[in-house]
Amino acid sequence: MSRRYDSRTTIFSPEGRLYQVEYAQEAISQAGTAIGILSTEGVVLACEKKVTSKLLDDDGSAEKIYEINDNMICAVAGMNADASILVNSARLYAQQYLKTYNEDIPCEMLIRRVCNLKQGYTQHGGLRPYGVSFLYAGYDERYQFQLFTSNPSGNYSGWKATSIGANNAASQTMLKKDYKDDMSLKEACELAMKVLSKTIDSSNLKGEKLEFATLSLSQDKKKIIRKIWKASDVDLLIKDTGVLDKIDEE
Amino acid sequence: MNSIAQKFSEANTNSHLIDINESRAQLSTHEVGSLAPSISVPPISQPTAFLRAHTDDNTNPDCKIKIAHGTTTLAFRFQGGIVVAVDSRATAGNWVASQTVNKVIRINPFLLGTMAGGAADCQYWETWLGTQCRLHELRQKERISVAAASKILANLVYQYKGMGLSMGTMVCGYTKKEGPALYYVDSDGTRIKGDIFSVGSGQTFAYGVLDSEYKWDLTVEEALYLGKRSILAATHRDAFSGGSINLYHVTENGWIYHGNHNVGDIFWDIKEQEKSFNNVLSGDD
Amino acid sequence: MDVILGLRVADATIIATSKAATRGITVLKSSDDKTRVLNPHNLIAYTGEAGDTVNFAEYIQANIQLYSMRENDIELSPKATASFIRNQLATSIRSRKPYQVNVLLGGYDVASNTPTLNWIDYLGTQVELPYAAHGYAAFYCTSLFDRHYKKGMTVDEGLELLKMSLKELEIRMPLDFKGYYVKIIDKDGVRDAGSL
Repeated sequence: MSRRYDSRTTIFSPEGRLYQVEYAQEAISQAGTAIGILSTEGVVLACEKKVTSKLLDDDGSAEKIYEINDNMICAVAGMNADASILVNSARLYAQQYLKTYNEDIPCEMLIRRVCNLKQGYTQHGGLRPYGVSFLYAGYDERYQFQLFTSNPSGNYSGWKATSIGANNAASQTMLKKDYKDDMSLKEACELAMKVLSKTIDSSNLKGEKLEFATLSLSQDKKKIIRKIWKASDVDLLIKDTGVLDKIDEE
Repeated sequence: MNSIAQKFSEANTNSHLIDINESRAQLSTHEVGSLAPSISVPPISQPTAFLRAHTDDNTNPDCKIKIAHGTTTLAFRFQGGIVVAVDSRATAGNWVASQTVNKVIRINPFLLGTMAGGAADCQYWETWLGTQCRLHELRQKERISVAAASKILANLVYQYKGMGLSMGTMVCGYTKKEGPALYYVDSDGTRIKGDIFSVGSGQTFAYGVLDSEYKWDLTVEEALYLGKRSILAATHRDAFSGGSINLYHVTENGWIYHGNHNVGDIFWDIKEQEKSFNNVLSGDD
Repeated sequence: MDVILGLRVADATIIATSKAATRGITVLKSSDDKTRVLNPHNLIAYTGEAGDTVNFAEYIQANIQLYSMRENDIELSPKATASFIRNQLATSIRSRKPYQVNVLLGGYDVASNTPTLNWIDYLGTQVELPYAAHGYAAFYCTSLFDRHYKKGMTVDEGLELLKMSLKELEIRMPLDFKGYYVKIIDKDGVRDAGSL
């Protein structure tokens, strides 16, 4: 029955569902996990890389984390090809805003614009929705540090800590349990590592298989620092948090 | 490759979206502007310069087209409503083309528009304004405000700014909300609300009489006389104004026409009565 | 020929605009307000080609208000507003029929608690200044401001300085501008300071 409604994004099924959009969301829940945590001093984004082969020439550059503009970064779960289109649009919107207003675009405004683009692909005929969810970490004058997610339907929401991709339900349960409002950025990074260590295969728990990025303020609070971590930094964090030891003990 | 990415990076470039947006646009374009017939513009870069070259009899007396220009029109607000008075002469260059032009356009029973500048432009667009006002009435089940009516006209002429429209008009009317209201609208796109306006080549002469005797508390009779007298003053001093005077009074029940007064006939009566116009010698002197 | 003047004092911006609306040799109206309120802390004062001025100011006003409607009542800052206006004029000057409008933007930045005055001309030049004017009035008033303007003046001192410059215009300009409207923009928003 529902088959008839599968192939068209524009048409509701008799049960009131949009299958293509749901399929896109399903595709994302297979993708590598990405976690975002808001702290008092900044935001951390952490994700699991799905390196497909040993032979892949990995230049160490980020694969799932993108810079959008001076005050925003995002992590991707889903189809990377789709993501790069959306990231391109996001960067364009950010620059257009900067050009007309001579001011950085407010985070939510940018996210809404990208989401409007995504939404368009769930309503107009003959198109495939973007198979991407995002975690956005941003800073603006009005609301300071912020963490948002968006999904293929074009919905977005703000969070203190959340995750997208594989095992996101398990991660979120853990985050709900361990998240504290007064965490430092370092503690947030440690929490992200801890959650990752429990939701991904332990053999993947190494610098080259993980991606970390943080958004924070400089000492004088005048500049926003976007840091995409090197593999060695991630390894250091693994060592510091001792997540590997714990796994060995178990 | 890049072009593929380009194609999908902007929603508008997608042909499906374009179709949808277009059909949506078609549904929502029955607003004011679309009813305005579009007027073709000469296929040259500077329509104004073109028009000037062919119509400006000041700089080029041999120009082929001479547009009717000279006029005196006035309108003022007072305690009892609005008085509108206009002359009736049309000139084309130094040629008096007509002495019986109707320079007040009855937009509807509650709205009047005056005519100065290009006669055709005023006549055409103020009649068009009447259509818009009627449509507003049908859609909103309420008479249009004078503010809104004048703004429709101002926005319209602003669209054609720089393309040679020539209009100086006063939109006069009465609504419950505004009371008697008076707006000056010209083809530059200027729109000004006010109490007293006079437009045309004889405006200065009309203002001279009008300002010196105007009071808000004028009776209707006094006001009508002042309007008539001010236009008479202008017809007397401005060679491009003359013929007869058309008088109107705008009240809460709509406008009332107060007749056509031939300048030649009333001049001597008024001179006699007022003991004015003493530069002119009558047969008795 | 209209007069528009702006003056930034310690905690407010003062804008003065002439009241005469002139067409040819006739003053059509002697109570014409050449300003529009864009949002609670931004006011635009304009001068230039008849028709263009009001049309442009109202276009800007509508867009700034649209921004606030879309963005949860967020007010666009004076700096962002000035950039937006500059951008519109810079686009316009490269079009077939440019807007011939010069503006002053008086604003108060609520985030940093600073009054601002932006001078923008029809070519798309935009500068933040302590005092500014457009048109012929600028020739008399800028030197006067250069001489008498002091940093950190109070609103009252600012109004005194304004009166001084308007007096100068009365003495030296061959036209009567029929008085001036004065507006003050401070932390409480835009307010009418009567006329001079």
